[in-house]
Amino acid sequence: MRGRIKKLFRSNEPYIFLIIIVLGIVIQIRSGQFFTGNNIVDLLSALIVPGLFAIGEFLALIAGGIDVSFPALASLSAYATTKFLLDREYGGNVLLAFVIAIAIGAVLGAVNGLFIGYLNLNAMIVTLGTSSIFKGIMQGTLRANQLAVIPAGMKSFGITPFISAYNAKNGLTSVLPFTFLILVAVCALMFFILRYTIFGRGIYAIGGNPISAHAAGFHVKRTKFIMYIMIGMIASASGICRVCMMQQCHPTNMLGMEMNIIAGVVLGGVALTGGAGTLTGCMLGTFLIIMVQNSMILLGIPTTWSSVFVGAVIVIGVAISAYQANHQGVGSHQHKSNAKKEAVS
Amino acid sequence: MNKKMFSVLMSTVMAAGLAVSAYAAPADSESVKKAADEGWEIAVVPKDSTNPWFVRMKTGVDQFASETGVDCYQVDTGTIDAVAQAQQVKDLIAQGVDAICVVPVDIESMDSALKEAKDAGIVVIAHEGASLENVDYDIEAFSNEGYGAFIMQNLAEAMGEEGVYTTMVASLTNGSHNEWADAGVAYQKEHYPNMTLLEEMPRVESNDNGDDAYNKAKELIKAYPDLKGIMGTSSFDAPGVARAIQELGLTDQFFTSGTGMPADNAELLKSGVVKSLTLWDPAIAGEAMVDLACKVLAGEAIEAPVNLDVDGYTEMNWREGSETVLEGQGWITIDAENVDSFGF
Amino acid sequence: MAQSLLKAEHVKISFGSVHALRDVSLEIAPGEIHCLAGENGCGKSTIIKIISGVYQRDGGTIEFDGKKLDRITPIDSINMGIQVIYQDFSLFPNLTVAENLALNTEVASGKKLVSWKNVRKIAEDAVSKINFDVDLDARVSTLTVAQKQMVAISRALMFNARLIIMDEPTTALTRKEVDALFEIILKLKAQGIAILFISHKLNEVFEISDRFTIFRNGEMVATGLTSELDDRKFTYYMTGREFADQTFVPAKLSKEPVFELKDASLDGAFENINLALRGGEILGITGLLDSGRTQLGLSMFGIMQLTSGKILRNGKEVSITNPRDAIANKIGYVPEDRLSEGLFLQRSIGDNIIISEIDKLTNGIRYDLKKRDAEIARWVKELEIKTNNPENPATTLSGGNQQRIVLAKWLACDLDVLILNGPTVGVDIGSKHDIHAILQKLAGSGLGVIIISDDLPEIIQNCSRIVVIREGKLVAEYDTQNVTEQMILDSMM
Repeated sequence: MRGRIKKLFRSNEPYIFLIIIVLGIVIQIRSGQFFTGNNIVDLLSALIVPGLFAIGEFLALIAGGIDVSFPALASLSAYATTKFLLDREYGGNVLLAFVIAIAIGAVLGAVNGLFIGYLNLNAMIVTLGTSSIFKGIMQGTLRANQLAVIPAGMKSFGITPFISAYNAKNGLTSVLPFTFLILVAVCALMFFILRYTIFGRGIYAIGGNPISAHAAGFHVKRTKFIMYIMIGMIASASGICRVCMMQQCHPTNMLGMEMNIIAGVVLGGVALTGGAGTLTGCMLGTFLIIMVQNSMILLGIPTTWSSVFVGAVIVIGVAISAYQANHQGVGSHQHKSNAKKEAVS
Repeated sequence: MNKKMFSVLMSTVMAAGLAVSAYAAPADSESVKKAADEGWEIAVVPKDSTNPWFVRMKTGVDQFASETGVDCYQVDTGTIDAVAQAQQVKDLIAQGVDAICVVPVDIESMDSALKEAKDAGIVVIAHEGASLENVDYDIEAFSNEGYGAFIMQNLAEAMGEEGVYTTMVASLTNGSHNEWADAGVAYQKEHYPNMTLLEEMPRVESNDNGDDAYNKAKELIKAYPDLKGIMGTSSFDAPGVARAIQELGLTDQFFTSGTGMPADNAELLKSGVVKSLTLWDPAIAGEAMVDLACKVLAGEAIEAPVNLDVDGYTEMNWREGSETVLEGQGWITIDAENVDSFGF
Repeated sequence: MAQSLLKAEHVKISFGSVHALRDVSLEIAPGEIHCLAGENGCGKSTIIKIISGVYQRDGGTIEFDGKKLDRITPIDSINMGIQVIYQDFSLFPNLTVAENLALNTEVASGKKLVSWKNVRKIAEDAVSKINFDVDLDARVSTLTVAQKQMVAISRALMFNARLIIMDEPTTALTRKEVDALFEIILKLKAQGIAILFISHKLNEVFEISDRFTIFRNGEMVATGLTSELDDRKFTYYMTGREFADQTFVPAKLSKEPVFELKDASLDGAFENINLALRGGEILGITGLLDSGRTQLGLSMFGIMQLTSGKILRNGKEVSITNPRDAIANKIGYVPEDRLSEGLFLQRSIGDNIIISEIDKLTNGIRYDLKKRDAEIARWVKELEIKTNNPENPATTLSGGNQQRIVLAKWLACDLDVLILNGPTVGVDIGSKHDIHAILQKLAGSGLGVIIISDDLPEIIQNCSRIVVIREGKLVAEYDTQNVTEQMILDSMM
């Protein structure tokens, strides 16, 4: 039991969790507004879109790659879908919007997957390139503009409360829309895939040692290809969630999110070198970033300082994990030199 | 400028704006009549003729032509492209038009094209191009001070001229947004004694992102229970804040104002979450440009205040320190009633 | 010999115009420990890759278990019971021990889902075969090298292995870990599993193997019973050269010490060390890895600063607080990890040689390219660096030749004192002899040399005196003419 707890604290998650709790208490003391139902609901609602993106980024990082194209990919597929449905004056269920967007996302993700998986090109370069292409298609070919009106199905899906939290003290009602269930579902599905399928373990194996993964019988290229398709699908679903929740489609609204998403995932203990990290850590790290971004005013800090704070949290968080890694390194080193001493005797 | 002078100036400006010169008809203008008689050709070059904003501008230019008989028209530019736009100006020079009215995409590339136009003796009028050098005149719909005060008027009206408010800009480094906000606050201090600026958080940033505006508004509302309004500036601010008002169930208790496009906000305005938004009308700006071109071509002396015979542009004054930039009072209010009449 | 398990005869393979294997044969009996030796580039790795199906041979025959094999694919090889444990172990550092062990089986089963219960069972079975006690839930990255090796061996055994090939398995192991490994190898042998053990370490070959095969330049040069092999033959087969092993005797010693340490201390590393080195002498410093011997070397060169005590050059106290001071005082240092500390691997061989004397290669103002080229040519010749073009990057050289560049780099500075830390670690046997010869020659010309090493035969053979450091203190001093390894070992512990 003690060993298990010790092992737990060797990972990042408990530290990030602690930081979240401590920061929450600080905000509570400053504003009296942190641990209220409606504030938590507000934060969870702000987590939906970044959380979905983070899951995609998590996959890419675990496999030893990276993806910086997802905001452009999501914008393009969400815009194209919304525009298409508007042009056809579609008034039905939101499901169709998700199906179309996810299909487009799969195709766009396949482009990434083709270059990164089958042609074995550097993921950073490929996704930087495809990001430009996706933006170009959206702004050039599709001449994307703000769509102030969105199909009725999407509109109601975005505001229908899944949970609404009423705060008697200030009379505010915060709404957690049904899109939250998509985050939960994708999270659960990914947890299952990564933990219980050969495909999922293959993603970890590839991130740990691609040559050995190949030798062990994994289809390395195909796994990467399918994985980038999945990332495209998740990102597109996220794009539709954003459109539904914003009640309008703004093509550039999500661009530029990639840096904070990557930061959140890395903060959660996911290694940029691939292979290491958990979905829990990924979500905690992302939540911490969202929390900092959305608590500046509650803390009474001018919003201009937001990026400074987010930056500080990232540096501190990454420093903690680096410290831990070194600590472990020193430990095993000592172990080794002891072994050597014994060896000669 | 001291505060008193500022407020005096402000009041004059406002008065002029609100008066909306009872009589404005270009067809009656001497110079316009002359332009029609002489058959002067006046071309308007927009940034992007497919953009609804400039489609609206075209309706203004076309209306001017049909009402006055002046040979003026808007060029079909296609997608936004600085190089193509400069080329279009050069084509117009070759065609031998008498005046070019332009809304430049890129100041630098346009300036050199306009130099050729001026060298060829063509009258050049610009709109939203205050830093262009090779122009006869540039007209701006309004001064930043005037517009900021106008947004505040709208907010104050919604808030019943009382309560705590704060201001929202895209970023603290954005020039015009902050000037609007500063002017709005100054105007409030002068005219609405029962309103107060939230001292702890007098200005927040929305990063030109509707989602940020939404989240910031929710946070502000939670943190400051007395807060009753947010003066937005960017076109993303008011719609974002409105979403928060709607979700938190604060319609008719919490208010916002700011710049907004009619089509994007029609629903918000009609639902009553937002009482009014502010804007300037590109159709009128188009008419004003053509009218000014007529005046210059006819050799009329351009002396402040200039009357361009269209609403909001009847009392054009020089921008401080400039001899080419004219500023009007061309702001308009968009509300539930008129929102559908703009076509953009 | 009974029926062979593996019999490869006259195997050939070439890559383009390079004949990697000209004509090699290799025969392994069931349950035999067979050592395959040879210098780098002799074709050891190539034959493994042919046997395991990675490369296809151009000629020759291979039989396994009496069956002739025309073409071997990786899958055939595994199915026949051949397992290769590469130097990097091919493990997944980010996954647990259990998963590393079970993954291949799980993937091979063609199932889509992972059964963690099954994974655990597979892993438990695997480690029990060699009584390997390890936390199955530990991540492989947290294990020691030896434990990783055990994981790799356990994994190999899961495939009903009949021949396990280990590629230089002892490289990163401590002596105790090597012993443990050998114990397991013997246990496998007892189960009838044959082991092909690849090594160029003489003592290991003698210690563990029944029979040996030696390759040189893509040809088999010797095979036979290890009991019939001796030191001299082994070295000859490996290198094709005869070496006269002479214990170093200093020719002429300077009267006064050229370099002295007086009560030198470095907090946490060593204290009150007194040393004197004469010109023409080779002094050996030895001790356990954490005895402080490395810090002592670094302090003499100014990379670490003494907390107290003095450094004397020719009887006069000098201040050495950084490598610049040391170089100015004609002291040179060849680090243990020459790759990371001693060489600019991407730069040319020539640039690496002249880097330390670059100040001198000017004709007043300008960098003198002629002088540079002459200097480079001189050292390439003097130290027998094998390259056809000194403008090639240093990475193109073998370990031994890289070590020679590091030497050349320092000798170009016209030194009085040269300190070497582990001068032949990772160097093949021929180059090792060459480097020893160079050091002895240098000492003969009057240079004072210090060798820091725990390779006892090396220091006994090449030094005139040996001092032993234990726990930061100088505990013994020996004359190499009358010292044994055991005496040194006793004072090290």
